[in-house]
Amino acid sequence: MLGRFRHGYVAPAALLVAGLLYAPFLWTAYLSLTRYDGLEPPTWIGLRNFTKLFDDPALLTSTRNTLIWVVGTMVLPVGLGLLVAVLSYDLRGGAWYRLPFMLPYALSGAGLAMVWSPILSHGGIANLMLGVDTAFLQDAPANTVAMLLVWTWQQLGVNTLLFVVGLQSIPKDPIEAARLDGASGWRLFRHVIWPLMRPLTAVVVGLALVAGLKTFDIVWVLTQGGPGRNSETLAVTMYKETFVASEYGYGSAVAVMLTVVTGLASYLYLKRQVTAT
Amino acid sequence: MFRSRVVTLGVAALVLAACGGNGADAPQEKKTELTLYNDKGAWTKYFEEMGAASKQSIGLSIKPTGYTDSAQYQAFIKASFRTDVKPDLFTWQTGGMLEQIVKQKQVADTSAIWQEAIKAGDLSKDLLPYYTIGGKQYCVPMNVAYWGMFYNKRIFDKYDLKPPETWDDLVKTADTLKQNDVKAFYHTSVLFSFVWFEQLLAGTDPDLYDRLSTGRAKYTDPGVVQVMEKWKQLIDAGYFINPGDKTDPADVLKNGKAAMVSSGSWFNTSMTQRDLKAGEDYDFFVIPNLNPALPKTSMIFESGPLCSLTKAADPEAGTKYLKWWTTAEAQEKWATSRGDVSANPKVEIDDKALGAVTKDAGSGKYRLVNRYFEATPPPVLTAALDGFSKFVTQPGSYKEVLETIQQAADEYWSTQ
Repeated sequence: MLGRFRHGYVAPAALLVAGLLYAPFLWTAYLSLTRYDGLEPPTWIGLRNFTKLFDDPALLTSTRNTLIWVVGTMVLPVGLGLLVAVLSYDLRGGAWYRLPFMLPYALSGAGLAMVWSPILSHGGIANLMLGVDTAFLQDAPANTVAMLLVWTWQQLGVNTLLFVVGLQSIPKDPIEAARLDGASGWRLFRHVIWPLMRPLTAVVVGLALVAGLKTFDIVWVLTQGGPGRNSETLAVTMYKETFVASEYGYGSAVAVMLTVVTGLASYLYLKRQVTAT
Repeated sequence: MFRSRVVTLGVAALVLAACGGNGADAPQEKKTELTLYNDKGAWTKYFEEMGAASKQSIGLSIKPTGYTDSAQYQAFIKASFRTDVKPDLFTWQTGGMLEQIVKQKQVADTSAIWQEAIKAGDLSKDLLPYYTIGGKQYCVPMNVAYWGMFYNKRIFDKYDLKPPETWDDLVKTADTLKQNDVKAFYHTSVLFSFVWFEQLLAGTDPDLYDRLSTGRAKYTDPGVVQVMEKWKQLIDAGYFINPGDKTDPADVLKNGKAAMVSSGSWFNTSMTQRDLKAGEDYDFFVIPNLNPALPKTSMIFESGPLCSLTKAADPEAGTKYLKWWTTAEAQEKWATSRGDVSANPKVEIDDKALGAVTKDAGSGKYRLVNRYFEATPPPVLTAALDGFSKFVTQPGSYKEVLETIQQAADEYWSTQ
């Protein structure tokens, strides 16, 4: 009985996915081969948007900034999250130590940026507290690094939480055995705990990789990609070209490139992880 | 198996039909409340007040939806041309942006409203060109604004400074302030990065400004380069606050972070919101020309349209509303609540300095120059805003900046 209707059960979800994900993606891919201002019908121009991509100095800056975001996201929120988790997971009252790191996670990306804008602004709270006269969001790539630190402040808690769950769920026997054999501290972590946590680390790093590649909201609210496009990421370039400059075709080409890069990076990374485990 | 697929398709079709809008032949709706979409989120309160007034006067109220991100707003309005979700009324920009949407043949023709309003003295003929495309008028003025310098009167009084009459006076004023560790001018690297460029160019060579806006001059022409060099000199002299300061310009003026903010007369609304009093806490002067040989003082002018669509749910109600909007009764309320000037010459405002400017502007004392934001075609504007944003943080980059803007201009004008 169930078998006869199985397609019926799946159909609503399949239709939603097809309508809300695949159809817009195919439409974007089509637009990337056109000139389109959002009003007049799109004009077919072949691969011209893609050739323009490789000549555009702004795209080079966006790619550099996106790379900083990807590497930074994997090193800072993930690395520090792991550190906080390892230092606190078996402590009595460890949850209280982790709580301050968790609270900022309640903020949305845009909300986070609104909170930090007056802090990082020239003449803002950070300038007053540090006794310096620096516009943190002005010069590249320092402005990207400043925003990355803000991002770390928010993301640290959730990464810590994921690692704590991982640490609490790994089997205790191999750790006990290693301890009996005299392993402790760094050696115990490096040779016993870390390998046991590998599947979870693969997921956390994979999520960080994708989050780094699609960085948008925090940059858009804090700097709008400026000054002079020097803090743009690929996602910001995509948005600006599409909605600010009304170059929907070119913006779509950036979107297609970003999708290919994100898909390829995730595929290669996950394939490597699966092969390794 | 086949039957189950047919059932599935049937259900899906029903769901989609339920999600769809009204059919094309649905009877036209008579509305008593009109949606008003705008990118002036901070003005919601004033739009609501207008809605209450119009309800009493013509039986139509408005429901404002204010966006704060203009890019998102414009994308929504453009998308509405292709869907059934259409605003009854919406705000827009004059210049290339208005031309773009008028081409879609959905913006309601307001020629009759204009003719009547000019005849009744409710609108000035001077505004016509900004709203005329292909010999017809579209939309009505939602607001008009004259640009000049707002200054902190308490700081000026403290150092015994008077509103400058000439450019040299203005520079002397900036010098006096600098000697007293007060930054003279506000500028920013976000969005309004073009303000000093347009002011300096319009005050040096307004004809070149017009030619530049219409693609008949280049950003790399010597006249434009000289303006950038002048701007750089002013920045290098230390007159400006740091462009990375994210403080709202109204607070910059209120707190005395800078003594002067160049802005449109709508800045008065921000002053009103901060309980500041014109003539006591702050005041306004017309910025003198950089080039004293010009016959008239150049004044930046802007007008933002309020539009309706022919394919909206009740286009007649939209037209009725726009007609009411231009009347002295509506404009009196609109101008008074925001403390701003009005497009209706019959409306006088309390602010003496702005009132005088409006009167003088109406009598042809100034050469009105269309604001850069509206005068420049959108693709060139985007490149220019980014360029000026880079320039204010790295003034030495002006030649590279002008070349980048010119590249965008070449690309745009080659397709026109």
